[in-house]
Parts: sequence; structure tokens; C-alpha cells
Amino acid sequence: MIHIFDGAMGTMLQAGGLEPGGCPELMNIENPEVVKNIHHAYIEAGSTIIETNTFGASSLKLDHYGLADRVAELNAAAVKIAKEAAAGRAKVAGSMGPTGRFVVPLGDLEFEAAYQCFAEQAKALAEAGADYLIIETCIDIQEMRAALLAAKDTAPKIPVICQLSYSEDGRTVTGTDPQSAAIILSAMGADIIGVNCSLGPEQLVPIVRTLAENCDVPISVQPNAGMPYLENGETVFPMGPEDFGRWGTKLLEAGATFLGGCCGTTPAHIAALANTLKDAHEPARPKRPKRLWLASRSKAVCIDKELPTRLIGERINPTGRKKLAAEIREGSFLSVKKEALNQVKAGAHLLDVNMGVGGIDQAAAMKHAITEISQLTDAPLAIDTSDTQALEAGLRAYPGRALINSVSAEKDRIAEFLPLAKKYGAAILCLPITDDGVPKTAEARLETIKGIIKAAKNNGLDDGDFLLDALVMTISADANACHEVLRTLALYRQELGYPSTMGLSNISFGLPNRPLINSTFFTMCLAAGLDAPIMNPYDDSMQQARKASAALLGHDPNGLAFSKDEANLSVPKKAAVAKETVLATLPAIKQAVIEGEKDDVAPLVEKAIQEGHSANEITEQALTAAMTEIGEDFGAGRMFLPQVLLSAETMRAAFNKLKELIPASANAENGTVVIATVKGDVHDLGKNITGALLANSGFKLIDLGKDVDSTDIVKAAIENNADIVGLCALMTTTMVQIDKVIADLKAAGCNAKVMVGGAAVTQEYADSAGADAYAPDGVKAVELAKGLVK
Amino acid sequence: MPIYNAPLLAIDAKETRRYAGLMKAENFDEGKIEAACQDARLLAAPKGIWQLYDYDCETQEIIAEPNCILQGAKIGAHLAGCEKVIALAATVGETIEETVTKRFEAGQYSSSVLLDAAATTAVEQVADAMEKAIRPKAAAKGYGMRWRFSPGYGDWPIEQQPELIRLTGAAAIGIHLSSSMMLIPRKSITAVIGLYKEDKSKQTTATSHKKGCAACPKTDCPSRNV
Repeated sequence: MIHIFDGAMGTMLQAGGLEPGGCPELMNIENPEVVKNIHHAYIEAGSTIIETNTFGASSLKLDHYGLADRVAELNAAAVKIAKEAAAGRAKVAGSMGPTGRFVVPLGDLEFEAAYQCFAEQAKALAEAGADYLIIETCIDIQEMRAALLAAKDTAPKIPVICQLSYSEDGRTVTGTDPQSAAIILSAMGADIIGVNCSLGPEQLVPIVRTLAENCDVPISVQPNAGMPYLENGETVFPMGPEDFGRWGTKLLEAGATFLGGCCGTTPAHIAALANTLKDAHEPARPKRPKRLWLASRSKAVCIDKELPTRLIGERINPTGRKKLAAEIREGSFLSVKKEALNQVKAGAHLLDVNMGVGGIDQAAAMKHAITEISQLTDAPLAIDTSDTQALEAGLRAYPGRALINSVSAEKDRIAEFLPLAKKYGAAILCLPITDDGVPKTAEARLETIKGIIKAAKNNGLDDGDFLLDALVMTISADANACHEVLRTLALYRQELGYPSTMGLSNISFGLPNRPLINSTFFTMCLAAGLDAPIMNPYDDSMQQARKASAALLGHDPNGLAFSKDEANLSVPKKAAVAKETVLATLPAIKQAVIEGEKDDVAPLVEKAIQEGHSANEITEQALTAAMTEIGEDFGAGRMFLPQVLLSAETMRAAFNKLKELIPASANAENGTVVIATVKGDVHDLGKNITGALLANSGFKLIDLGKDVDSTDIVKAAIENNADIVGLCALMTTTMVQIDKVIADLKAAGCNAKVMVGGAAVTQEYADSAGADAYAPDGVKAVELAKGLVK
Repeated sequence: MPIYNAPLLAIDAKETRRYAGLMKAENFDEGKIEAACQDARLLAAPKGIWQLYDYDCETQEIIAEPNCILQGAKIGAHLAGCEKVIALAATVGETIEETVTKRFEAGQYSSSVLLDAAATTAVEQVADAMEKAIRPKAAAKGYGMRWRFSPGYGDWPIEQQPELIRLTGAAAIGIHLSSSMMLIPRKSITAVIGLYKEDKSKQTTATSHKKGCAACPKTDCPSRNV
């Protein structure tokens, strides 16, 4: 059936007397006739569903007008007006707009506060008799989740329409794509999924199509009448009713069966739309295979037997990892975040998150971890816990569709985990364990899994929600362990067809050379039908086995990806080539410094000493010579600061080695430099760079740090008998401190030369302040310093 | 005051190269840049806040309590014709900056400088993401957005930073000022964005719309992108 929504409400309220800056929803009480007339106009135009004038009637929005305590009253009045206007000719959808704030972690609005705000409004709309609830114009999937949960909890019998707004790049401004939205929201029980506002009908066609391709529920669309612009002081939407109406056909073909308008549309637009669609037939939606899809805020991942193997990274798990456990216990999630990033970089498609640390608040830890990780990576997450509270905390906090790891056939798990999976739209990893333990044979495991699936389906879950664990035991304890796993995988695929998973490494427990056993087992399992192993993505032998298996099993047609990968590996490495060139030791040191090969230089220095070169020779002919060349290259724009710094690191390694071998080899014969960032200035990277280069060019460096008082600079210059005082200031506000330090140095009778630099400092400024030199960069500073001490 | 903490799902390696002064460098190890971007994602705590105000472009006055008169001809010209301004503040927090310092002290000069560059890229991206979130709201009301302009650009004195801190509500995301007008954490941004009514009947040419590096007089800057 094709349903026609209404069009814009706000502009018509203004036309009906709403003052600029006035509360639109207050019209429901103060001027109900105006609202009713708008409804009438849309019904006359052909609307079969009209929206209540309650877009901003949530406590958080009404608070702007001091009306936060009138949520129930304003919403009830709005439904009453709409129902009276409809008089049975149209259905009434209770409109719920966004709060105007972002939900944690994108913003400062707590999920629970958003939930309460929407629950209050949904309750009022439902009690007043709304036929639908429509959550619309949301740009934050987490806010949408809060609203949908609130609507389902407070009004379980009323169908909920969930509409996000997308930008021109096809994502919401917070990054959610329509595919992920369809997956997340349909799993959570949205009855109709759609899109409204932001764009015109033309741009919404592909978004509607993507939504339709990724869920089975009806699709709704309410475009703007094009993008607005201003003409003679009025906001104008460019698309006229006829143009707008014509798009109805395309939107219907793309999959939308609930159609209406948003900003800039009028009863005339809706009439044109209704006219276009009056004899249209609802196109049949192609039947979708029920595949297992998981999604983060901005990315969807499918696990399926037709697709290449997906890796579930297992490393965010404190079990047996004392340091990680201790960190989590102390409330630090830095290592957790590091594991998330590194695993994704190593090729993990999904991340398992386990917070199983004894003696902590698991729910709080899970919420924290899920929140942090979802803000850092777009890989979908598996919530790995046996604690019901921790599971719910994680599911609530996750702005996506998660995998629950795991649901066994144990009575508690079935009773507690399955309703949560349904409520939060999560998929479940089914583990064949009963209250009596682990079934030994493949057949027994299959039966156990069938039991879990039956219970899950009784709770409203469906095909596409299941990932089956084959359960790996240890071969050192059970000679048949591997065989049973392989048979289990085959049986799962043959009997059920759902994708499968397992934690692999248990197979080799207690054996030597575990990587070999693991990777061999892995390839066997892949052949038997393993789709998504839970594994350590850093394990190179497993990764290699996976790539080779993909080629062998036809997931990598003609082994193309494999060939490219191997070809890359066989490209000769730069370092290997460099070693072919035989240089004498001193030129080799010089070369290593220029190229910043820090690890190579110390052995070369050692070799030079063994060959009988003096420390002086090494410094002069290799290190200083390198620095001179680097200075020239930098000045000529052939070399750049980070490269110079790599060279400086290499110099440092060379000097350290030299000092270690010949402790008497002093490298400070060029003079003493006292360096500081002036009072009031906290920028010190430029000063540090200059200091590092000076220290590695034969100067004794005394670095006083940043935000240094003039008195302390003068004192240090005199005490150390400095040859040069280097001053750095980054800002026009702190630059004036340079003048003060120079004056104070003179007054104290210090004869050190003064060199200045920093972003705001110029040659002119240096001259006027009476400095002896102006260094535009650290490399130039070394050259100037050498000149100053001559 | 909307708070928007945009996730950093990637940090632009190309921009990081530019901020590190490596625009023209050939053969610089890409892996080092990528590592810096990855570390920055780990260490950054992105936060942003903005606030919308009416603006009187005749008197260069932001209408607030109390009002704030913007000083300088450049900001005046930049906001010519604007009816509203958005004051925004963004930061990536202290931790990343502390790591930059620690690395330098440990003699890891290049990785310190590259991380610093990645942090700069990160905070710019946070502000970009905020603009992206603001744009549809502005467009829905028929407003176009001028590019963001910060104290210190042109002749806009950084002595107006305290006003920007007040107007943005930056304290709520942990940004404050040193006595010498520096933003702390250092990798922070305050800026204003002018909102003007797009009028297709009149093509406005009143203001110079040179943007970013093109508008900056420091032509010898190693990070200059034009």
C-alpha cells in the first residue's frame, strides 16, 4: 500500500500567525484552529497520514521557551487536533524531532537523558491516540537509537517510523550511511525506516534504494522542495509542486511506499505527489537473502559463506594479560584503544571486546570501552561477556548493531541474553554448551545449537542473527578434538547454513610450536566452512594462511590479491640495496647520518674506531661533514625539517657511541649556548629542535625550557659563561620579552651573543631589539651560531 | 551551546605532511607519517563547542551579553554582509601534546615533530567536522557560511581571545587561556564563521574570499599550500 504523508508545517504556522521566535507547539493550545486548518489542507491534498505539530514538543526543546513542564499537555492537544481534522480520513503520526544536542560520546547529552526525554513525549503521543510515532530529522544514530528504544518501551503497540537526515555525501553529518542505518534500526524493531529533510527528491533516490536493499520493512521518504536560497530577503525552495510530484514515481521505484514532503513543500506539492501516485502500483521488493550483517555507526560488515573470511580481533581481552587487566582496573583505556587501532590496521574486520577483570564494575567498564572504541574505529564490535548487566550496558552504549559473544544453551543465558539481543537489535554468537557441559560429538553440538536457535526465534530473532561457534577443544586432551570441529563445521553448513566462528588457539594448548599447529588447523577449518575466526590478527602465520586459503577456496579469484601481496613482498627493500654499495667507513657514517639511518650508525662508528680512526676524524670527516651537507640541502630546499631531525637523531646515536667507546671525546668544542622560550610563551617545539641540532653540532647546550623569566636566563648565561643566548618567542604578545631579556643581559654585563627566532620574529624585529642574529629555522641557527663564536 | 566531539576515524596523511613541512620532500618514509597519524588518533581527545549569535556587520558587533566588538579591518571585511556568526572552539586535548614533549626529550625528534603535525591536522579536522554539522542547519535557514577566521589572522589582535573563549563557551571543553593569550591545550582552535543570506539575485563581491594559506601574507611558510 502506498501512503501519502503531509508536507511542511513550520512555514504554514508562520503564515497562520506564528511570531518569529515563538514556540510552534504552543499553537496547539493557543491557536488550535490554525493547526487544524493546516491538517485539513493536507488531507484535502491527498495525505493519508498527517503529522502532529509536535516536532519540538520534547522537554529538551520546549525548555528553550520555558515550557519543559508542558510536554504531556502540548502533545495530547496536538494529537487531538490532528484526529479531529482527520476524522477517520487519515492516520495520525506523532512527530518527534531531535533534541538539538548530540548524544555522548559525540556530545554532552547522556543516552539516558535522551531516552527519558523521548519516552516522555512518546508516552504522551501514544496515550492521546497517535496511530504512528515518527522520529524524524535525526543526524545522530545514537539519538535515534535512544528515541526508538523509548518509543518501543513506552508504546510497544504503535508502529514507529525512523527517519534520519543525510547530507550530500550520502551520510548523516555524524557519518552514518543508509546501509548501516537500515541494518541497525531494522534489527532494533523500527517498523518503517526512512529519510527526510536536508536534500531534494533527486538526491534522496539513491538513499531510498540503499535503505530498501538493506532491510525488509517499508521505506519512507520526505524530501525538501530542493535546496533553499534567498531571494529578496525570503527563503525560497526552488522546486515547484509539479516538479516535486513527478519525483514520486522514481522514489516509489527506489522502494519508498510512505511518501511526503519536508521543508518548502505545501499542500500543492502533496497534491501533485498524490496525483502522480494515485494509480501507481507498489513495486515488489526483491527478496533479500537473510545474511548476517553487523554495523558500527558508519560501516556495515557481512559475515557469510559466500564471502571472504572475516577476522574478529580477540586482543581486547584482559584474560591472562596482567598489564591490560591492571590498566582496566585503574580505569585507563589507553591500551584497549591501542589494541583496537592496531588490530584494525592488522586486518581485523570486527573487534571482540571483553572486560573480564575481577573485582571491577564490569558494566561500567564495558560501557566505557564500547564508547571509546566506537569513537575511534568503524569496525563493528562484539560484546564478549557472561555478565548480563555488562552486556546491557555495552549494547545500550553502542551506536551500532553488535554481536553478542556469546549465547550458550545454559538456562540463564537463554533467559537473560536473548531478550536483550532482540531489544537492542544485536546478533548472537551461539555456543554449543549446555548446563551439563560441552557436547562431545558434532551431532550433539548441532542439536544444542538447534535448541539455542529455536529459543532465539521464540524471542523474535531470525535468520541473519546467528553466528555458530564450532567449539574448539584441546588436542592434547582429546585426540578427536580437531576432527569433531571439522565435522561440526560441515554439519552446521549442511544442516543450518548460518555462518560459523570459533576461537582457534585453544586447539594447540600445551603443545610446542603452537603457531604451526594453529595455522595448519586454521586452513583445515577454512576448507571445512569456517567464516569468521576469532583470532589474533597480529599472528603472521595465520594471516598468511588466510590469504593463501582465500586464493585456494575461490574467495580471491585467480589468486589476484595473493599475487599482488607476494609481489610486494618480493620488491627489494631500500636498506638491502644500500648495503650492497660498499663505502669506506667514514663516508658510510656520513651517508647514514644524511639518510637518517639511526640503527646503522652505531655499528659503523664502532667499526671506524676498530679501523683506527680517531674520534676527531670521525667527528670532522663524517659527522660534521654530514651536518654541513644537510645544512646546504635544507637551505636549498632539497631536504626538510623532519628529515633533518632524523639525521640529528642519527648524529646523536653516533655521538653516544663515540662517548661510550672513547669517554674523553668531548663534543662541545664549539661553545656554550643557553637557550629558552621567553616568559609567557609555552611553545617549545621550535626551540627544542634548534637545541637538538646545536647539541649535535658540537655545542654545549643548556636548555632552560619554556615560559622562562628574564632573570633566570641572565643568571644561567652568566653562571655558564655562555657564548650564545638563544631566545625563542612564537607570538606577537610574547615577542616583546626578547627586548627585555636583551636589556637585562646588557645591564648585567653579560657579553654573550644573542640569537633570536620563532614564528612571529623577523629580521627587522631582531635588529630593532638589538639581537646579534636572527635564525629563521634550526638549521640556520647552527650555521649562525658557528659564525657567532668564531 | 551544542557540544560536538567528532570522531577521528582517520587523520589526513597529506595534511600532516604539509604541517610537518614535507610538502616538497621526495622519498620521505610514508610509514612514519602513517604511524604519526595513527598515534594521534589514539592520543587525541577531540572536543568541540559552538554558539550562534546575531551580528551587526556595520559596527562589527557580536550581539551577546555583553556584546563583543570585533577589532580589525580584515575580520570586518571578512564578515561583511553577515547577519549572524557562529563562534566555535575545538581541541584535541593535553595528552597528545604531552607525548610530543616526551618524545622530544627522549631524543625521538622526528616522531615528535610528526606527531605535532598530526595533532594540528587532527584539531583542524575536528573544526571541519563541526562546520559540516553546522552547514545543513545554516542552509535550512537560507544561510551560506564564510570560512572560519581566528584571532591572529590578518590584523585581528589575539588580545580578543578572552572574548572568543567567552562567546564559544570553550571552558566547557577544557580550553583556557594563558596570560599571554595562548590557548591551552596548545592544539586548540577558536574561530568565528559568518552566516550570510545567499541571494541569487545579487552576486555579492563585497568581500575578499581568499581562503586559508592564500589569504596569509607569510609566503615563505614551509606549510603553505598555494
